[in-house]
Amino acid sequence: MSFAQWAASPGPGVGGHEGRIYRACNIGKRFGPVTVLRDVDATLRAGRVLTIMGENGAGKSTLFKILAGQLRPTSGHIELDGQELSLGAPSAAHAHGIYLVPQEPMLMPELSVAEMMFVGHMPTSGRFLKRVDWRAIRSRARAVLDALELDIGIDRPAKTLSIAQLQLVECAKALLHECRVILFDEPTSPLTAHEVETLFGIMRRLAGDGYTLSFISHRTEEVMEISDDIVVLRDGRMVGAAERGAFDRASLLSLMVGRELRTVSRRTKSHVTQELALSVKGLTHEPSFRDVDFSLRRGEILGLAGLIGAGRTEIAETIFGLRQVDRGTVKLGNTDITGVPSHDLIRRGVAYVPEDRGRHGAVLPMTITENITSSRMERVRQTAGLMSRGHETEIGAKAVRDFRIRCAGLDQTLLELSGGNQQKVVFAKWISTEPRLVILDEPTRGVDVGAKEEIYELIDRMAASGTAVVVISSESEELVRLCDRVLCIYEGRIVAELAGEEITPQSVTASYVGGSQARDAEFEKAGA
Amino acid sequence: MGTKDDIERVLRRRGREVALVGVTLALVVVLGILQPRFVHLENLRFMLLGSVVLSLVALGQTFVIAMRGIDLSVAPLLGLSAMVCGLLAQSQGLPLWIAFALSLGIGVVLGAFNGLLVSALSIPPIVVTLGTYSIYSGFIFIYSQGTQVFSIPAAYGHLGNGYLVPWLPIPIPVLVLLVVLALCSFLLGYTRFGRALLAVGNNDAAAYNAGIPVGGIRIAVYALSGMLASFAGLMFLCYTGSATVTAGTGDHIELQSIAVALVGGTPINGGRGNLIGTVLGSLFLSVVLTALVFLRVPAIWYSAGEGLMILATVQAGLRRHRARDAEAVA
Amino acid sequence: MSRPDAIPASAVRSEANTVKPFNRRHFPLDGWEMTLVVLLVLVLVGFSWAAPGFYDGMPDLLSMAENFLPFGFVALGLSLVIFTGGIDLSVSTTASLTAVVVAQLWHGFGMNIWVAAGIGLLLGALLGAINVLVIIRLKIEPLIATLATSFIYGSIATAVAGNAPPSGFPDAFNALGGGALGILPYQLLLFVPLCLGFWLLVARSAYGRKLVMVGYNREVALYSGIRVERILVVAYVLSGVMAAVAGLVLAAYYSAARPDMGDPLLLATLTMVVLGGVSIFGGEGTMLGVILAVFILGFLRQGMMIAGFSDMVTTMVTGAILITSIAVKNLFNKRGTGLGNQLWALLRRPEATGSEPE
Repeated sequence: MSFAQWAASPGPGVGGHEGRIYRACNIGKRFGPVTVLRDVDATLRAGRVLTIMGENGAGKSTLFKILAGQLRPTSGHIELDGQELSLGAPSAAHAHGIYLVPQEPMLMPELSVAEMMFVGHMPTSGRFLKRVDWRAIRSRARAVLDALELDIGIDRPAKTLSIAQLQLVECAKALLHECRVILFDEPTSPLTAHEVETLFGIMRRLAGDGYTLSFISHRTEEVMEISDDIVVLRDGRMVGAAERGAFDRASLLSLMVGRELRTVSRRTKSHVTQELALSVKGLTHEPSFRDVDFSLRRGEILGLAGLIGAGRTEIAETIFGLRQVDRGTVKLGNTDITGVPSHDLIRRGVAYVPEDRGRHGAVLPMTITENITSSRMERVRQTAGLMSRGHETEIGAKAVRDFRIRCAGLDQTLLELSGGNQQKVVFAKWISTEPRLVILDEPTRGVDVGAKEEIYELIDRMAASGTAVVVISSESEELVRLCDRVLCIYEGRIVAELAGEEITPQSVTASYVGGSQARDAEFEKAGA
Repeated sequence: MGTKDDIERVLRRRGREVALVGVTLALVVVLGILQPRFVHLENLRFMLLGSVVLSLVALGQTFVIAMRGIDLSVAPLLGLSAMVCGLLAQSQGLPLWIAFALSLGIGVVLGAFNGLLVSALSIPPIVVTLGTYSIYSGFIFIYSQGTQVFSIPAAYGHLGNGYLVPWLPIPIPVLVLLVVLALCSFLLGYTRFGRALLAVGNNDAAAYNAGIPVGGIRIAVYALSGMLASFAGLMFLCYTGSATVTAGTGDHIELQSIAVALVGGTPINGGRGNLIGTVLGSLFLSVVLTALVFLRVPAIWYSAGEGLMILATVQAGLRRHRARDAEAVA
Repeated sequence: MSRPDAIPASAVRSEANTVKPFNRRHFPLDGWEMTLVVLLVLVLVGFSWAAPGFYDGMPDLLSMAENFLPFGFVALGLSLVIFTGGIDLSVSTTASLTAVVVAQLWHGFGMNIWVAAGIGLLLGALLGAINVLVIIRLKIEPLIATLATSFIYGSIATAVAGNAPPSGFPDAFNALGGGALGILPYQLLLFVPLCLGFWLLVARSAYGRKLVMVGYNREVALYSGIRVERILVVAYVLSGVMAAVAGLVLAAYYSAARPDMGDPLLLATLTMVVLGGVSIFGGEGTMLGVILAVFILGFLRQGMMIAGFSDMVTTMVTGAILITSIAVKNLFNKRGTGLGNQLWALLRRPEATGSEPE
């Protein structure tokens, strides 16, 4: 759309047609030499939810981007109600009533919720002087949020919304633009269980109203819960497509991974010793968490379970000296390390591998070696203040070998590596400091299954060598697989402790529910 | 209910403007008690007039900053327009309305050139306008050939210092500023262009995905900033009756305009723009500088005063903003 | 950042690890530095051929450097600040203030000029420290903070200078600006080791690595246990000190200290740093590039002056070079087919400027 056309265009997309069928026909997509999608067919039908399943790198997001007009297919085409479409831009897709709700909707921090919903499509009034019709914007925004039964103030600045609320606002935006085809790009990963329920509730209602929905996921439970039709992708090919009834969890998993999956197995051997590694007493950082007590022995793997936002990451960051301690003490062995800054903790053998690689874990435009040594540059031999390049390369090369990082050379920047390999670099960066205590925050987020196993082995090896490990994870199976003991955190408090055979996916998940029951009880008490 | 809530709402939404008016008035009152001549009509008129040129430049700067850009080239644009119109008026008696069109034209073309470089070549705005700062300064020099403007036709002087009608004691430049402010406010608050530029300032990628032609908006906003700076040059010419090679650049009006926009409540990271705050900010600056004169502070300390003012107001704004965000979350 | 039918680098990189790396080890200079070397040679050869009097023997060429090396000193310090993703607009007034204070200490208080110069360097450090204090403690953006302090330092410089700025320093001091050891000007003798020092600092020391990390991603630096504030303090203090050095050298060169002496420094040095390949957003760039850019722009300016162009024309050309060089660099960094296509696509898509997420 040219500038002039845009300025003259009347506003949001064309009206709603009932019962739309949106098809991807023989879609193929190549980026340079790399083929990402091959001959993929998918049909989205009105009143139904189609799930695209697959591992990271299977091509799910690329398919969605093609459906939403952000990318053009290399071969094949898309058609809406039998008519071939050529979408040049997301705005063209909107005009055809197709809307993509991104996983982490892009924020317009300073705009109000109402305005954010109308960005690019401001309704105007007045014949002579076309002016933005604020009254219409506010009333229509209010109406559509009410229709979805969302309690979000329309005048709130967008920067005050949570990710879940932003997704829901995006969803409202799709309705506002009278889009009948709504695509959700892996919406549930950043959401808490409760928020997922809200989202699914809204999706069901939309499907009931005849909207055409599709969403991406790799969590089998929720796929079985919400889908009507399922398409499974592996390495850019379609390996399965049918109605939900044709699949069960195990078959979905094996299709996705391409081999029979072992059921979740517990670690056979524990490495727990008697030596105390970490003890935390009454640790409080308002308003994230309060009165947290636990201890950890060398060789032990301790899991922190809980919902996103329960305060797990905050506990880790406080122990690592990144946040202020309001109350309580932290001891490393017998030394008090309460409030000691992180650079000092690193020297004492503490390491924290943060959850978000790109934001906290590694500098993506820097090289593998530079990232690996960045956790503690003092270990690189120095003469007259200059780091020895040879020694640094040795450290890098050793880490690449030890952690099986697949790369073409140590001088590659992390931008050129896959997610799993990036994560291994972040691991190598911290583990190569030979810490006594490691805190791992969501160690396998965004990592494919193969790399996951390698990371589990790594963690196990660390424990075997006497390192105390804390694992924060939202995947209960991961905690079952790894941990000697699991603490369940709910709204900033430890609400349950599981050990040994008590740790099962069911018990870990149940502990969240237990948490909310405990809260309900509290409310009742407060009310009485 | 009623007035108390209304006052609270006004304070919350228009706190920056209220604070600026309050501080400016307090300053005027205190100085008026110390030095009665300070509140003399002539002096008040002088302070008002003194803020017009900077206000015009800073309004354009506010649009650019709200779009998350920055425009350093406003200073030489001001000088160039003053020089071109001034020399033509001085030597050939250029009619005022042609001068008017000429200055707007210069600003739009050269401003759009900035925008084109920013959007088409992906060069950071600070680098682009740093470069065009040098280039446009060169234009002034080449055009003037070392001469300067020292006398202008009466019509120009009237525009710069006169009154529209005898019974209205408001100088023409102030009226002009009010009209420009009204137009700008309408543009920012009530047109799709204005809202689109704010969307670009918030998140350019998201704005693009929403179908906003980001490149075109950028070019238009830099053109607007150039136009206002260039128009300010004409007003400067009319007000002072002179133009030299260093008009604009000599006073570092590019830095002043950024400072005033920030003082007025527009965040340096864009996404919001406060035009009334910008005008009040330059009025505040004008009052502060005049107050320093009355307090017999040597002229050399004026820019230090500006510097301290920037630090103080930006700091106060940060605190208020953080407090408000915290409140909104709660 | 999605553009229809563009190749999203992230997709290629994350979904298939096939991108061949550019192996830095085998190249002493990276692509941009090579470009700058070629540009420097072009400037030198071009002017020697086109402007009679430009090349008048090696001693002459070297002494020409006296006219632009003060910019070089500032550029060295300023690069550190820009590496962190910040900016220091106060370098020009820092230079002026230092020069004026040193001159007054010598003239008004009868202090030995070298002792006064030492105090001047400390003053530069202090002014830099004030900048960084405002940035860290008051949490004000570097652009605004140094804009404000530059106003303040400028006022103080004018006040200290008084009505009759001191002049006529001892010859030994003046030699710093205009003297030479054999054919080597003292300025150059000072500049070369400083270049070496700054280059090693950025490229080879742990501090330099941390500096670059802070510039690329401050959060990662924090999570890696890097004391970010310390890194910033050192960068801004060194920027202040180098501005002070430039102030002293200028005072020696003119044998006078005027309060507006440093004014031309800011825009010219910013141009040098950016032309040198340092990203205004921080992280990216090399010290070697900056040093090359100092000589390119310096000799260009001198050459144009000798060829009879006025100062303003030279400034214009400098501005044009700044824009063109960055434009060329950006175009080369992007994939695409025809230039026209690319221009059109760029016009329609949002570019990366300023859209870094907080």
